Amino acid sequence: MVRESVMHGLNFRKLIGWLGLSLVLACPVSYGQDSTETAAPEGPEPTVEKGKLPNRLPYIDEMLEEAWKEAKLTPSANATDAEYMRRAYLDILGRIPNVEEAYAFLSNKEPNKRAKLIEVLLANPDYPKNFASIFTNILIGRRTQVQDVDRGALNSWLRQQFSSNRPWQEIAFDLLSAKGSSKENGAVNYLIANFADQRVNLTSSTTRVFLGQQIQCTQCHDHKYNDWKQQDFWGINAFFRGMRQRPLERVDATGALVRDGTEVYDDPTDEWARFERPNALIGIVPPTYLDGRRIDPGLDTDRRLELSKFITESRNLQFSRAFVNRMWGYFMGQGIVNPVDDFGDHNAATHPELLDQLAVDFIASGYDVKALVRWIAASRPYQLSSTMTRSNEQDEHLFSRYLLKPMSPEQLFDSLITATSAHKTAGEAPDKLRAQWLGQFVVAFANDEAGESASFQGTIPQALMMMNGELMTKAVGGQPGSFLSHVVDQARLQKKIQPIRYAVDQVYLAALGRYPDPKDLKASQAFLSSNPDTLQVVQDLFWALLNSNEFVLNH
Amino acid sequence: MQNRLIVPSGMSRRHFLGHLATTAMALPASQFFSALQAREAAGSQQKRCIVLWMGGGPSHMDTWDLKPESEKNGGEFRPIETSAPGVQICEHLPTIATQMKHLSVIRSLNSKEGNHDRGTYMMHTGYAPNPTIVHPSFGSACSYELGHKAGEDFPLPHAIAINSPGEGAGFLGMAHSPFFVSSPTADIANMKLPSGVDDLRMGRRLQMLGLVEDGFGRQKRGQAAADHKSVYLKTVKMMNSQYTQAFKLDDEPAAVRDAYGRNNFGQGCLMARRLVETGVTYVEVSLGGWDNHADIFATLQRGNLPQLDKAMGTLVGDLADRGLLENTLVVWMGEFGRTPRINQNGGRDHWPRSWSIVMGGAGIKGGQAVGATDKDGVDIQDRELGVMDVIATMAKAMDIDLNTQYTTPNGRPYKIVDGAKPISELI
Repeated sequence: MVRESVMHGLNFRKLIGWLGLSLVLACPVSYGQDSTETAAPEGPEPTVEKGKLPNRLPYIDEMLEEAWKEAKLTPSANATDAEYMRRAYLDILGRIPNVEEAYAFLSNKEPNKRAKLIEVLLANPDYPKNFASIFTNILIGRRTQVQDVDRGALNSWLRQQFSSNRPWQEIAFDLLSAKGSSKENGAVNYLIANFADQRVNLTSSTTRVFLGQQIQCTQCHDHKYNDWKQQDFWGINAFFRGMRQRPLERVDATGALVRDGTEVYDDPTDEWARFERPNALIGIVPPTYLDGRRIDPGLDTDRRLELSKFITESRNLQFSRAFVNRMWGYFMGQGIVNPVDDFGDHNAATHPELLDQLAVDFIASGYDVKALVRWIAASRPYQLSSTMTRSNEQDEHLFSRYLLKPMSPEQLFDSLITATSAHKTAGEAPDKLRAQWLGQFVVAFANDEAGESASFQGTIPQALMMMNGELMTKAVGGQPGSFLSHVVDQARLQKKIQPIRYAVDQVYLAALGRYPDPKDLKASQAFLSSNPDTLQVVQDLFWALLNSNEFVLNH
Repeated sequence: MQNRLIVPSGMSRRHFLGHLATTAMALPASQFFSALQAREAAGSQQKRCIVLWMGGGPSHMDTWDLKPESEKNGGEFRPIETSAPGVQICEHLPTIATQMKHLSVIRSLNSKEGNHDRGTYMMHTGYAPNPTIVHPSFGSACSYELGHKAGEDFPLPHAIAINSPGEGAGFLGMAHSPFFVSSPTADIANMKLPSGVDDLRMGRRLQMLGLVEDGFGRQKRGQAAADHKSVYLKTVKMMNSQYTQAFKLDDEPAAVRDAYGRNNFGQGCLMARRLVETGVTYVEVSLGGWDNHADIFATLQRGNLPQLDKAMGTLVGDLADRGLLENTLVVWMGEFGRTPRINQNGGRDHWPRSWSIVMGGAGIKGGQAVGATDKDGVDIQDRELGVMDVIATMAKAMDIDLNTQYTTPNGRPYKIVDGAKPISELI
């Protein structure tokens, strides 16, 4: 490996010889502008202070209300408790509430129960589980083909970070500068997943994920729609030039040498990045941050460490904006800049002042992820109904109603399991069954190609799986261990209401997080009276609820 | 979209789903073929496409562009004459040789991408991969552009991929992504009702579902609620349709099944014929195992060449006999060709620079060889063509307007055919 890098160095000097002075002029070298942590970010003054963080930021509501007024929009009504509960569970825990949780919240009479709910959810172990799963997908995709990636290790590393509410700044810094074994330091798997092709993927993924900026077009040419230059891409790429990976091995119990993960490390290098310009000339560039700042490209520099500093330093407002906007987009169904990772002049923010104020306050909070979740979840737009008013039907960008979000494959799967306990039906090992089904769901329902599309992108194989698949069959078959079998037992044991009414209430609560309304009850009654086999009718009703738009859409 | 699928007149929306379930299933299977014939008569001008996808990168030097004169690169196979005068192909493709009058070989394709994923993407879309956009595959574009011409009530997907999933629809949406049939001889996953659920019970379930869907839809929460219902309507329509009989090869005489070859590719080709016959627009059938870095001659002679020969030869003959070939484009391609040079392991490596594909049907002039490579198969000697030229030719054969342009969700223009013209010799 060292040998190889020396060879590159030689070639590089030879190249300089060929191309001569013009090349050097094209890239004037100016090192020594060290990044300084002390400089304050540009943008507005923060409104919060670390250690005294509020649970609500009133300016979110004020700024949006002003925009609604200007656009002459009447926002939707406030969401009902049931609606708010279901979306908060789905967004924060990645699943719908189970019947006990739903009952507890809906029957609670405290005035501030929504704020309390958010605290309960942020303390639930499903919160770090959910965010680890979301960020694993963001960092390495749902279906990475790279064999050396230890997805589980990355996922569990992320879970620890979200569980201890580690500042986003530190999480990002660790991901970018990570070294060591793919098994022991889960963070390196982000680098391994994007290692191929001279770190080209790593370059575009790093700016996209951490800065919300898509510079990948500039791999081959200057950007047509904004200011990014080909040199910007390769300037970032140069920071990864020394990064290497190698297989690790260990001796197993039988004395055989076996593969034991992958190590990420850095070789000292003084290479610059080389790239082919559209006119077929070769360009070269030393490690250069997007704002033009450079580092000493000498052998003593830890380049990735320097890049991690550039990206995560607190004067870098864009780093904070990118995360705040991603979270806003996740909770609200649409980013203030949308798509959430495509900032630039070609794609203006709908509420730039709001985004900047949130970004500044997120920095002032110490990049406190839970605080950001609280602020968004407590805001008025997050608490609006998804039912449109006559005046806001056309609104797609001002957050005057809650936008429908199709469940992700993970949310759908975990919600089905929560509602039905299908994996606990007799005779099967729950964990094994769960893992097997989750695999099927991710294959059937993941459509990375559509990105985070807000439209419903359902397919026939998905609908077939929901209607006739093994999970659904177990879910509504009433086998011992399932939720439905439990409900049937309880319906007989409880004495408060008619058993059948009890069962209907319970399946509505389990699937939709609400009680049946009078219309629902009337319809159920009609089905029940036309069929003598009431148990079958309850099964069929549960099937219908789980297959419905109301179930699969986060509303 | 959902408007197309909304309630037939004279029926309340409330009962639509339930109605579908209880009546459509009652249609006896024997009526299937008369229904088919009716469609055939009505839609005979409708263009269809079958792509035979050779996964791994097929060796053009050992199939369509043999170089027996080349001492270093020629390899072990000899060329034979075909039903197209002057067009010779590999001796292990004798059935196809009888059909070459219908087919033309393009021997001068330079597709530029030598990596499996990139080549696969390029050959399916005409574009190199680009992180800012997912280009729709040609099959998805066919489904989007032409599918509705088969009638609004046509119950099968208009892009179907057999044996491997094919390439997706990008921004055209999942509805146009190929419906994947993982094995032509197995049942379609989850198409059968679960045990304990008969038609009547399924009808009740669907009726209940219809009530919940409509109740939620009436609350005016957005398009996604209606889109969800539309996918279910399509699915139920497909489940209940006799057209799904096209997926069931048991109807075919044993002799026909034998002729196509009793393997996944052969049976897949037979299914493709049945599907285009019912009116499906695009079907892709995959045959893997072409990535022959070692021991290429024995491997091909033993496996892929006889399978390909029987299946493709029988398919083209069958389409011609049934009068389907006039409107059905057949294309043979993979992600790239293989090196003229034979490596030290007796294999050939990846080679996108000068290789061959084959097409015929749907008005493509058959019986020709377009372009040529030099005597060692290395450089293109005549008529260099790019992938976009191939896509343009396919689009032209399918009657897709060559100027078709879409705007991507992030506002950028996308053309199905970009800066290329159909290959004049073939049109």
